Amino acid sequence: MHRLIGIETEYGLYVEGRGVADQLIDAMGVVRSCPFPAVRSWDYRLEDPRRDMRGFRVEHLEVDPHDAQIEREHPLPISEREARSDHALGNGARLYNDHAHPEYATPECQRLLELVAHDKAGEQIVLTCAQAYAQRTGNKVTLYKNNTDHHGSSYGCHESYSLTRQIPFETLAGNLLPFLVTRMLFAGAGKVGVEGEPNPRVPFQLSQRADFYMDIMNVETLYRRPIFNTRDEPHATMRRYRRLHVICGDANMSEYATALKVGTTALVLDLTETGWFAPFSIPNPVREAQRLSRDPDMKWLIETDAGTLSAIDIQRAYWQAAHEQFAGRDAETDWLLHEWQTVLDVLETDPDLLADRLDWVAKRQLLNLYVESEGVSWDDPALFALDLEYHNIDPAEGLYYALVEQGRMLTLVSPEAIEQATHQPPMDTRAAIRGLCIQRFAEQVETLNWERIILRDAEQTVRLDLSRLIETDLRILSRRLTTAPDITTFVKMVKEVQS
Amino acid sequence: MIWQTEERLRRPIPQEPITKPGGDGDGPSRPDVQRPDTNELLKRMRRIDPEQARRYRQRSGE
Repeated sequence: MHRLIGIETEYGLYVEGRGVADQLIDAMGVVRSCPFPAVRSWDYRLEDPRRDMRGFRVEHLEVDPHDAQIEREHPLPISEREARSDHALGNGARLYNDHAHPEYATPECQRLLELVAHDKAGEQIVLTCAQAYAQRTGNKVTLYKNNTDHHGSSYGCHESYSLTRQIPFETLAGNLLPFLVTRMLFAGAGKVGVEGEPNPRVPFQLSQRADFYMDIMNVETLYRRPIFNTRDEPHATMRRYRRLHVICGDANMSEYATALKVGTTALVLDLTETGWFAPFSIPNPVREAQRLSRDPDMKWLIETDAGTLSAIDIQRAYWQAAHEQFAGRDAETDWLLHEWQTVLDVLETDPDLLADRLDWVAKRQLLNLYVESEGVSWDDPALFALDLEYHNIDPAEGLYYALVEQGRMLTLVSPEAIEQATHQPPMDTRAAIRGLCIQRFAEQVETLNWERIILRDAEQTVRLDLSRLIETDLRILSRRLTTAPDITTFVKMVKEVQS
Repeated sequence: MIWQTEERLRRPIPQEPITKPGGDGDGPSRPDVQRPDTNELLKRMRRIDPEQARRYRQRSGE
């Protein structure tokens, strides 16, 4: 991949004997139990989540009315900043409490499998924190990597992709929308029922998140969630870069689904940067996404401005264009093109053959096994509990991990690679500078964020600007930084690359 | 390098599904519950508290 990519996951949190009114305290407790090396600070001064890609700034961001009521009834006696409990980790990742959910943001990666390893490392890190919190409090703590509580509350798994600012907004949105609507065919995590409304016609749907789409595009993330998020916060030099902030996706347990979701989205951005235009648009993407997700007959038809097309054929149009332009570019691209094509072909003929790699198929088969064995119906409460437990990230309890244990799920990265990613940053991106700085000189880091590190060197404040290090391969620098004898040399080495 | 890329990525499709839900052709087929690994899965699913989803309530996130 020729861009920085990251995944942020908000984990569902259940603490035995506690309720939603306690969730913020518990999320803080989990994050603050982090035993990994960290700088407990985050520099928010460069963040501006109200800036819209369409060239304006909204007055305020909307909040979920039900959640606002909980906040009014249970106000915290500490500041929002303190409640965040920021941790910048030595592997380049970020861990914090985001709206009462432990959130793990991977470091910026350029290689697909490295990103998958860091996503899985996030599960291990957050689980370790939860176990430490459980030991301290005596309460059992369970974490779910999903996007719904099945009672109308959602929490996100967001993706970030760096790209050039030269692409006009309209082109970006036009190319991405039909792709994002239809990629749930392979990226959906699957869900029992429909949010908040018993619907016997839809015992199971492709996506966890689709029920929560309310708008085609906007800058919101907490309420009135869109398919295309227009937040303009590049975490890089503003005049040169954008960051595509994808908030409509599901959290995947399957490593393969994560790789295909992120890799194909990156290929669509590659296409867009070459001047390619999608040959169709979807006039009502919210309605079509929800119809696609809930289609009990799995015909997967979409109303477009070019007539009714199958979602598989829409994906094929993207695949075809990417194949024409990028086949043979490198091994990673060839793997993606091969797998993308294969998955689309198999979805058309027999989706159940993809149970070893797609979350929604694996989950549906697992639940079907239970339904047939126990003689229960698809609206039985146990089915919702099983859906939830598919996403339990404790390998000793989670149903996804039961499938992995039995060799029923294809995994892409080794346990050793995941373990390595819990403490080592990607060495080819700017995350290496952040991670190595934390590992080696944490006490001298005053604060930091994705774009800069502020250090104390002797009596001086030093700023390391990472905002332009988006496309630079930093492997050689990273190797040198591991041997820097002191902070002065570390800073000098980074500044040499910047100049 | 500890990535096991080639070996892991080239696992062929298809793998036999746990159950084969009906469609055109054979119709629904029952799972082979005699298979020990399927039994293990069922045991694990039966251990799950069916009330857990009812109790599980979350604050709305992003």
